[in-house]
This record gives sequence, structure tokens and C-alpha cells, in this order.
Amino acid sequence: MVTTKQTIISWLLLIVLTLISVYAGKVLENNVAFITSVLFIVFIKGQQITDIFMELREAPIMWRILLMGYVFIIPGVICAIYLL
Amino acid sequence: MSLESTLMSNTVTSLTMTQFVEPDLIDNAKNKRLPGDLAMWFFILAELTVFAVFFIGFAVAEQLNSEMFIAGKEKLHPVAGLVNTIALITSSLFVALSVRAIHLGNINKSIYLLIISQCVACIYLVVKVWEYQTLFSVGIDIETNTFFTLYFLITFFHFMHVLLGMVILVFIGVNARKGFYKEDVAGFESGACYWHMVDMLWIILFPLIYII
Repeated sequence: MVTTKQTIISWLLLIVLTLISVYAGKVLENNVAFITSVLFIVFIKGQQITDIFMELREAPIMWRILLMGYVFIIPGVICAIYLL
Repeated sequence: MSLESTLMSNTVTSLTMTQFVEPDLIDNAKNKRLPGDLAMWFFILAELTVFAVFFIGFAVAEQLNSEMFIAGKEKLHPVAGLVNTIALITSSLFVALSVRAIHLGNINKSIYLLIISQCVACIYLVVKVWEYQTLFSVGIDIETNTFFTLYFLITFFHFMHVLLGMVILVFIGVNARKGFYKEDVAGFESGACYWHMVDMLWIILFPLIYII
């Protein structure tokens, strides 16, 4: 079972990653690095919500793969559209 | 104690430990449980699919009209988007803590945490309405151009999901107060997972519209 401490750490991570993604837009001048890093952050945040908030880390693997696949594939496709 | 009896004793201890450990390991494997109702998860997958089409459509449209989208994004308020992201993430935190409380049988704490999550979610509603009003006040609406058509379509669709999520949270809060989740918390978990999905969608939506 996900503990209260893990949930709060995950929330802090989500907040920090959000701020980093906003900051990245002002710091990174290379478009490829900027888009890739922002969308990678989306994946990490999605993984945190899936595993910790939704508690799918302790669910049957198929459901975890489905949700994790979503937060990996959708940012991946968006990244490909912007960069190709 | 002789060597023979020591070995016998170790074997017995080892067997006893095996008897205690193995069923536990088996239980852990079997204990993998999907939180909430299966029907809610199919609903969540359907919602995610609809939004996936919007996200990809937005990205393709941006590639086809990059100048229009850059100009459109400059008229948005990134701070408003950031505040909304923090509001939804924080609201999700309180919902997750509420689920934890109900698992531990603390129904009152669970209800209080749900109420806090609703209050934080209201920040999102207020900021979003303010954003829409600000755009309307300078003559920008859904018919201005392709960017704003997609902007209003996607963000308003998400706004409606936030409202639906809040209604669901009120519903499970009322049911918790009536004592419906003393034994089976699946309904409560379903509502919470729907709320986390709304949060997850915004986490993709925010960089797509405001940052990139």
C-alpha cells in the first residue's frame, strides 16, 4: 500500500517538475532539447500520478502498462510531431 | 546438544520459516488489486482516448500553422496555467490522502480531506473563468482562429471534466458520510481515480498549450 509519506514526496516531485518545465522554456534555447525535456517531464509526472496517486503500482500489470503506456506514447507522439 | 539434534532443530526451524514465508509471498502476488470498479477504468480509458485525439490534433495543427499558434500562445497567461497545474496537483494530493484515510477506516478525516481537495479545485475553476473572461474582453473567442478554436474546445472540454470530477467527489463524500464505505471502498476509489485522471490530462495539456 502507498504510504502517506510516499504520496507527499510524489506531490513535491510533481510541483518541482512543473516549475522545472516552465523554467526550461526560458533557459533552453535549443528547440529539440527544450521540447524533449518538457515532454520527458510529462512522462515522469504521469508515472507518478499513475503509480502513487492512482496506486496502480500495486494493480495487475496489464492496467499499469495501459496507463503508463498512455503517458509514454502520447508525449512521445507529440514530440515526434514537433521534431520531425 | 549433539550435532544430530542441532541439525534436526535447524531443519525444523527452516521448514517452519518456509511455511510462514511462502504463503505470504503467494499472497503478495495474488494481492495485486485494481483500485476501484472495473467499469470506471474502462470509462477512464475511453476518456483518455478522446483526449489523445485532441492532443495529437492540436500538435498537428500547430505544425501546419506554426506562426498563428506562436502568436496565439503569446496572448495566453502562462502564470494562470501554472497556478491551475499546482491547484490540480494539490487537489489530487488531498484526494489520494483521503483514499488512504478511508483505507485506514478514518471516515471523518477522509471527508475533511475531500472538502479541502474541492476547495483547492475551486482555484482552478476561478482562474480558468478569469482566463476566458480576459480573452473575451479583448475580443478573442472560439471563432478568432484555429488556435483559439482548439484552445477553447480542449480547455473547456477539460473544464467540464473537472466539474464532473468535483460532482463525483461530492457524491462519494456524501456516501462516505452515510457510512457506505465501511467495508467496501471500491466506489470511493473509483471517484478518486477519475479525479487523478483529470489531473493527468491537465499535466499533458499544460505544456502543450502554454509552454511548448
